[in-house]
Amino acid sequence: MRPIITRTLTILAVAAGITATAAAGHFDITKTGLERALGPTFANLYVQQAGILGITGITPTTIGANASCDKGGPKVADVGAGPNWICMMSWTDNKGQHQDGKFEVTVRTDTTYVAGGPSKIVGLATITDTHGHDVTNPVFEFDGVIPTGS
Amino acid sequence: MTITATTTPQPTATAPDKRRPGVGAALRWEIVKLAAQIRSRALLAVALIIPPIVVAVLNGQQQPPSDTIYGRHVHDSGYAMPLLMLAWAAQWVLPLLAAVVAGDIFAAEDQHGTWKTLLTRSVSRTHIFWAKTLTAIGYNLLVLVVFAGGTIAAGMLIVGTQPLTGLTGQAIASGTALRLVVTAWATTIAPIIGFTALALLLSVRTRNPAFGIAAPVVIGFVMQLLGSVTGLDLTRKFLLTTPLEAWHGLFAQHPFTGPLATGLAVSAGWTIICLAGAYLSLRRRDITGG
Repeated sequence: MRPIITRTLTILAVAAGITATAAAGHFDITKTGLERALGPTFANLYVQQAGILGITGITPTTIGANASCDKGGPKVADVGAGPNWICMMSWTDNKGQHQDGKFEVTVRTDTTYVAGGPSKIVGLATITDTHGHDVTNPVFEFDGVIPTGS
Repeated sequence: MTITATTTPQPTATAPDKRRPGVGAALRWEIVKLAAQIRSRALLAVALIIPPIVVAVLNGQQQPPSDTIYGRHVHDSGYAMPLLMLAWAAQWVLPLLAAVVAGDIFAAEDQHGTWKTLLTRSVSRTHIFWAKTLTAIGYNLLVLVVFAGGTIAAGMLIVGTQPLTGLTGQAIASGTALRLVVTAWATTIAPIIGFTALALLLSVRTRNPAFGIAAPVVIGFVMQLLGSVTGLDLTRKFLLTTPLEAWHGLFAQHPFTGPLATGLAVSAGWTIICLAGAYLSLRRRDITGG
């Protein structure tokens, strides 16, 4: 075959492949998937923060963190990557008080995400540990991953 | 030439060898040729020297590079450093490392006009194809081991062996973290072989070393771009860059390996198609010119 034919066929095959897979694909990133990943991640990191601050008596179970997520308001479908996910988190703190916080979540196409917490409730970017050192606040902003099947 | 004398032990030293030299002999000469190249030695040196420098610079910075995964943890644990480096390297460094030798290994014979000299030796084109392919893959895996080893060692020595925070917020103990970090780097072996095969194909087809080295990097960039488009969730599974990100699942509290399995299959597919294309192209090629 002449090179021009081979090249044209290759480009057409690639274009057809992209079109076909784009049309047939479904979203790996869903509202439920994000909620299931975000809740336990926040709970684990909240316990880590409590350890830094010297607060005792909480475990991921006692916190019972629950996330409820929405992407880009009511008119946008709650699927897929994007910087416009908002998750309302509710949990129980070490004093038994119910807490609610709004998390801004950016989900990447590789199903990892970055979540930023409300600093009024979770504290600023750095916190002071029991020895008086400034350390990174684990729940101010954190990375996570949404499990997928393939 | 005494190439064949050592490949199979002969009953008597003076008996003439009737057998044609196989892949082994061609492979040995390809390795000799590669070892003599300044470029291949320099790349190995760079893969060894760069990681400690980058790790030291990052460690000295006040503000961690939190826009990349594990960037915000670089001061907290020495195991975050190699993961950040892996996420960065996946963008263009790994495709480049894979292409520097593989993109040149066939095309260099065109550039120097040495195909005729090479093929008048008593080895077939098939032998030469496999010798060059195995040399390129072996060399790239060596570079990967050096690069990954240097990065992991630099992170542990410069930052320390503190426990790592996983991607579900869980604490990962030092020993487990080391095992996971090594595994994460090991998962890039399959896509790196895929990129090597792609570079080999381009090296055979274009007969141009510069194109053979640059094109895989550019294709890697295009795949990254395509993979970052929202809504192409199925398309991105077929890209050669996606397996480079499949390690994330290992760091969840309940690790998931679905993306790794898919990545392995996709890398194998790319490798087979590219190598088959390169092989057929080389077999059917008319080498009569300089």
